[in-house]
Amino acid sequence: MLQALMPLLVDGLANAALIFFVAVGLSLVFSVLRILNVAHGSFYAIGAYASVSLSLWIVSAGLSPWLTLPALAVSAAIVAAILGPAVERGFLRWTYGRPESLQILVTFALFLIFEDLQKLVFGVQSLYQDAPVQLFGTSEIGGILYLNYQLVLIALAVLVVVALRLLMSYTRFGKLMVAVVADPEVSQALGIDTRRVYMAAFTLGVFLAAFGGALASPTVGVAPGTGPEAIVLAFAVAAIGGLGQIEGAALAALVVGVVRVLAIYFAPEFEAVVPYLVMLAVLLVRPYGLFGSVRVRRI
Amino acid sequence: MRSPAVAFAINVRVKYHNTFLFRASGTQSAEANRNGCWPGAEGYEGVVMQVWKGLAGALALAALLGHASAQEKPKELGIGVFTFMSGGPAAYGMPARNAAGLIFDGINAAGGIGGVPVKPVYVDEGQGTDAVVSEFRRLATSGEVSAMIAALSSGNCLALAPIAEQLKMPTVAWNCDTHQLFLKDKYDYVYRANSSTIPEFVATALYVLDKKPDLKTVAIINPDYAFGHDAAQIFTAALKAFKPDVEFVAELFPKLGASNYNTEISRIMAARPDVVFTNFWGADLENFVRQAAPRGLFRNSQGVLSVGEAVLQSVGSQLPDGVIIGVLGDGWWQSPVAEKNAAAQKFVADYQAKFQAYPVFPSFKMANTILALKAAYEKAIAAKGGAWPTAEELSAALDGLTVETLTGGLTIRSEDNDGLVDQIVGVTAKSDKYPFPVIGEMVRYPAELVTPPAGTDPIAWIGSLDKDFLAKLPKPGSAQ
Repeated sequence: MLQALMPLLVDGLANAALIFFVAVGLSLVFSVLRILNVAHGSFYAIGAYASVSLSLWIVSAGLSPWLTLPALAVSAAIVAAILGPAVERGFLRWTYGRPESLQILVTFALFLIFEDLQKLVFGVQSLYQDAPVQLFGTSEIGGILYLNYQLVLIALAVLVVVALRLLMSYTRFGKLMVAVVADPEVSQALGIDTRRVYMAAFTLGVFLAAFGGALASPTVGVAPGTGPEAIVLAFAVAAIGGLGQIEGAALAALVVGVVRVLAIYFAPEFEAVVPYLVMLAVLLVRPYGLFGSVRVRRI
Repeated sequence: MRSPAVAFAINVRVKYHNTFLFRASGTQSAEANRNGCWPGAEGYEGVVMQVWKGLAGALALAALLGHASAQEKPKELGIGVFTFMSGGPAAYGMPARNAAGLIFDGINAAGGIGGVPVKPVYVDEGQGTDAVVSEFRRLATSGEVSAMIAALSSGNCLALAPIAEQLKMPTVAWNCDTHQLFLKDKYDYVYRANSSTIPEFVATALYVLDKKPDLKTVAIINPDYAFGHDAAQIFTAALKAFKPDVEFVAELFPKLGASNYNTEISRIMAARPDVVFTNFWGADLENFVRQAAPRGLFRNSQGVLSVGEAVLQSVGSQLPDGVIIGVLGDGWWQSPVAEKNAAAQKFVADYQAKFQAYPVFPSFKMANTILALKAAYEKAIAAKGGAWPTAEELSAALDGLTVETLTGGLTIRSEDNDGLVDQIVGVTAKSDKYPFPVIGEMVRYPAELVTPPAGTDPIAWIGSLDKDFLAKLPKPGSAQ
């Protein structure tokens, strides 16, 4: 019995890890800036492009393939360091306190611009570099071979949830963010530089999106269309978890991941729609998501 | 280029739109009378009207005659070429685009078609069917092109065919394989210069039956749209025709472009099928191979990649020997026929020199389609004693055309405008010469054997295949 269930469990967790990385940055940005960032999918795709480009360069330059592993995080950090402050200071700050429709339109415009910029910079064909997957090899679980890279992603997802929780609860920066989330006006009155907190939080969100794209790229490659696909799933997961909830995003990713796997195993014709059926069911019962609430803004 | 007679007639028609057109039929005359265009046919006005009617009739006749007989030779021949040049499908579409460029350059270097240089206009199918349809309409009505090579996607072909017919634009399908294209609708301007899904996947099934005569269980994983579902239906019908007790243990249809198939791979591996069939293509197939091969899917089960030749150079090195590889036609650059053809070998060498890769079967589908269109132009020009053909005459030349291609032969049969092309299938085999596997144990199924007769229900035809049919087929390895 356990033998038969193990593949379901491993596939469910591996799926959930990938989905979590797509959605967590969106949730974080919403919790701090109260902006539904449609351009989030673009950061995911740009992170994937940057990571593949860096890895391809490492391999073609004859450097150790092990360098492609730190390249995943480094490329995401570079993307976040450039685009995070530029987008937040250049565009988003003008929309704070404005109607939500305006914020969505601005981020949607950014999304469209980034989609075209990606084609200009990275071309229109799919790019791919699987050195990180090959480094880890495979393991047999429940009679089925899995890529160890899939297991690494599960561990990394758990690590990111714990790291974000520690960041929020035990670091000065995290506490400042929590304070700004709870009451931006009072925080400002107490001397907190809310502009810096917004910029830092948005940059962290961009990093998480780009990191998600970078982690996915060794198994799936990257091509035009990666961004739009990511944003649709990210919205569904963030809505199920409750927008702005990190643990909510993790739980929602787990639910969606496992339900998707169950669908593929037992009712494959529903695989494409199950994330959205779960979203529908959760929102009908809990309109603010699993962890969301009407009044209290939490992080 | 329009003839002066046609141009004048068009000007007159535009200028006198309300009058000229309303005189064309009785009902419209009545309507014109109601609108006050023609107050009556009495006295002086009646004479003027008679003269005008005669003039209009003469102009219309001149326009018709001018259009039919004095088609002026253009300064350049515009041809619309539709393929995917962006997104995941570009992995399949770009080798065709590259081939088109090379073939057109070669044609122009040799003096063009009928002495007219060719100017291809490329359209990216990656922009979606709506945009593809608009672009087709724009090109067809602008006078920029005289023929179309369209399209890669079966969905786009199904959308474009009625429009091509309506606009009387000679259109040759270069890749779209759906057998639905000519199943119900009859066209005068739409032809296919390659085979349909029926011979392609029947051929794959026949090869599987030869290589795995004892197969009992099969898993299918295809993209979730017409091409994937059609292939599953055809492959299933062909296997069932000869092995009715074969069991399908998994039938998965992830959405096109899903990119991550790891769960599906686990699901298939858990079912432990004898055979895993897929007709993934482009980046989807590359991703599937990259994810499935390291997990041992093709070592535990007999892999069948029916579009596999197109990715041998990109991901083939990850495949073990013996995975069944389809070519969807005869476009394999190392087939005995292609190796004996000097033009094909020159094309391969030029392609390799320019793109640092060897042409894949989509490259040959495109190249062969262009050569078929060129042959049709030449046939039409010869039939007209050297004069430039009209759209109708070009279409008539495509009807029943037989042409020698780079990789074999092509006949566009008259009954349904469909192409007859041999089918090559084989298995992956390590090569001493190349860093990727080549096709071993090759078989070349003759087109007339694996293509259902025009007008028959293709699935019923597959169901009617019997052991006598199998006895007529060449065996794996016979085309090495």
